[in-house]
Amino acid sequence: MNSKKCVAMLLAGGQGSRLGVLTSKIAKPAVPYGGKYRIIDFPLSNCTNSGIDTVGILTQYKPLELNDYVGSGKPWDLDRLNGGVHILPPYQGQQGGDWYKGTANAIYQNIEFIERYDPKYVLILSGDHIYKMDYSKMINEHAKSGAACTIAVLEVPEDEASRFGIMNTKEDDTIYEFEEKPKNPKSNLASMGIYVFNWDKLRKYLTEDEKKPDSSNDFGKDVIPAMLNEGELLKVYRFNDYWKDVGTVDSLWEANLDLLNPKIDLNLSDSNWRIYSRTTGMPPQFISDKANVENSLVTDGCEICGNLDYSIIFDNVTVEEGATVEYSLVMPGAVIKSGASVKYAIIAENAVIENGASVGTEPSIAGTEGWGITVVGADITIGKNAKVGANNMITTNVKEGEEI
Amino acid sequence: MRASAVAGLVLANSNDELLNELTSVRSMASVPFGGRYRLIDFTLSNLVHSGVSSVGLITKENYRSLMDHIGNGFYWDLDRKGGGVYLLPPYVTSGVRRYTGTIDALYGAMNFLKRSKADYIVISGSDTIANIDISAAIESHINKQADITVVYHYGKKPVNHDDIMILDLDNDNRIKSVNFKSNGEDVNYGIETTIIGKELLKKLIKESYDNGGENFNRDIISAYVDKLNIYGYEHKEFVTVLDGMHSYIETNMALLKTEVRRQLFKKERPILTKTRDDMPTRYGTKSVVNNCFIADGCIIDGTVENSILFRGVNVEKGAVVKNCILMQETTVGTNAVLENVIADKNAVIGEGMTVKGTKEKSFFINKNQVV
Repeated sequence: MNSKKCVAMLLAGGQGSRLGVLTSKIAKPAVPYGGKYRIIDFPLSNCTNSGIDTVGILTQYKPLELNDYVGSGKPWDLDRLNGGVHILPPYQGQQGGDWYKGTANAIYQNIEFIERYDPKYVLILSGDHIYKMDYSKMINEHAKSGAACTIAVLEVPEDEASRFGIMNTKEDDTIYEFEEKPKNPKSNLASMGIYVFNWDKLRKYLTEDEKKPDSSNDFGKDVIPAMLNEGELLKVYRFNDYWKDVGTVDSLWEANLDLLNPKIDLNLSDSNWRIYSRTTGMPPQFISDKANVENSLVTDGCEICGNLDYSIIFDNVTVEEGATVEYSLVMPGAVIKSGASVKYAIIAENAVIENGASVGTEPSIAGTEGWGITVVGADITIGKNAKVGANNMITTNVKEGEEI
Repeated sequence: MRASAVAGLVLANSNDELLNELTSVRSMASVPFGGRYRLIDFTLSNLVHSGVSSVGLITKENYRSLMDHIGNGFYWDLDRKGGGVYLLPPYVTSGVRRYTGTIDALYGAMNFLKRSKADYIVISGSDTIANIDISAAIESHINKQADITVVYHYGKKPVNHDDIMILDLDNDNRIKSVNFKSNGEDVNYGIETTIIGKELLKKLIKESYDNGGENFNRDIISAYVDKLNIYGYEHKEFVTVLDGMHSYIETNMALLKTEVRRQLFKKERPILTKTRDDMPTRYGTKSVVNNCFIADGCIIDGTVENSILFRGVNVEKGAVVKNCILMQETTVGTNAVLENVIADKNAVIGEGMTVKGTKEKSFFINKNQVV
């Protein structure tokens, strides 16, 4: 095995419970995004575009669809003779085995995998962010600074800083303290969950962390503080472009509609930084003479005969004549039947909204209090003329005429 | 059937002269069609979905764009250890004439046939647009113990081809006679998809070549109709054997009919093609789009009606596009007006320009042309 300069480890095992019914059948990184992508397309495409050709994907929760989707790694050009993409589930050894207990433990359990490539650096990524980033620049800065670890950070608005893991730094961008969701943040540099480690240092701290019985085996809570305690040099890497956590229903919805905002720079067609995805081999979209399509993204295999405004329509979606979709995401294979209305909602894969049903409402009608995005789970049917109001999470079929 | 029992041979330059505007820069097989396809995608997908894992593409000229499209065959699942896709350009030596007819072309593929492990060969043109269940045709070929099976369709025979076979069939679908002259009525005509045993094909090609034969349909199928068991297999669904620019435009526009899309694009037998990783198509605030078939990667801020848009087409604000076929990366500038226009790849129509063809004669804009 040739040695690699850098191996990327992508943490994809989390349940993503804040996405509710959207992750009841699939892991968060497999959640559809932007019409034809899955969240995991972003870190995988970033790796390929940054020249990183060896990626371990740590899976644990509902891995079937994710495994299927990643496959041999071909769509991301990660089917390589040496390196490439590897799915790494927890496994049994002679001394038994264990589920991944925390982010650091997941990497610890795969030390053997990383050692096969004898890397100088290990890049830790997570599968719940939408962003385009050249990791090679970050690795170069890390190498130049002589740090043991470099953490990518984003400047967030001061009043939102308490929602993030915050890096407190000196003037030269050296980290002296890490605070998880501080009540009174001293800085607005939020961790993006992207770390570059010198492999020898990371291996040392992972091994030591394993020996601590009360450790939660987490990068943010345990490994980073331990490194700071020992006086290791930790640096931040400042990132200024678009980055969005899509860990909640609201943020997933927002990050999708951001693609329609001309003021937001997230061009997924940039030929210098393509976002790759596994495609379904469907024909082009058909827009009928009854359709009214504005401010929307529509992709292959769709048949649109109704009205679309401010919406993201994923592949193989049918919107029948007289149906209306506004400010919504309609995921692959869903059907919006004639006369149905979908507003401020996320319709998951293969769900069916029957004739005349309505799902979700505008914030102005429902009032801001208690208002929220309504989510209809995968394979769910909303019966004829049923009404589903704002801020609902629909996990079972809704009968004809029923009001929720 | 074992994995390598059937192989395909595709004539990539078949009838190039019928689409001169589009084939001056490419082979028939790589002519763009239907928003995101090349013509070869239909034939290759049909072969692959019937279990064929080894395909020879017989090329004559202008095959650079075809090589670019096919690559190692990955997109059709033809990057295989045993088999896969082979480009068969002319192999010119002093003893072999550079081919003019289909017999010459097939003779040029003799080495492919000699090395092939297949029992049966499916010979196809590249100007047929259809979703054909070839495995059903092969099954019929075997059940009837046929020597040759010709896939046919009932309807009006394309007029500009001189070698499309009109079949006279008996009740068992055995071909009694073949003729080439149509009186304009609906007939059973061959759609350039033929199944034949490999050894028989080698023998017939060799004999015909040595005797100066030129055309596979005339000099083999028609000539042997009394001596061999030659059967027909009917493809009942939508098909076009391209017959000139008019039928090229008509068939593109036929994709606006739901029934035609259902018959061409099936979930169980999708038409496979090279992907480009475009983002979905974006419709702007003032976009008006009616009755269109649109590929990914387009940005539409203007008005588009009754048109086929390929990947990456840009229709700017105030522009109006009607009854057009706009290929990959066409840009229609602000307030430009296009009617009955076919734009080949990367054409640019400048701000405020008006370009109009007629229903009878579309205006053609060449590849990379700036208007």
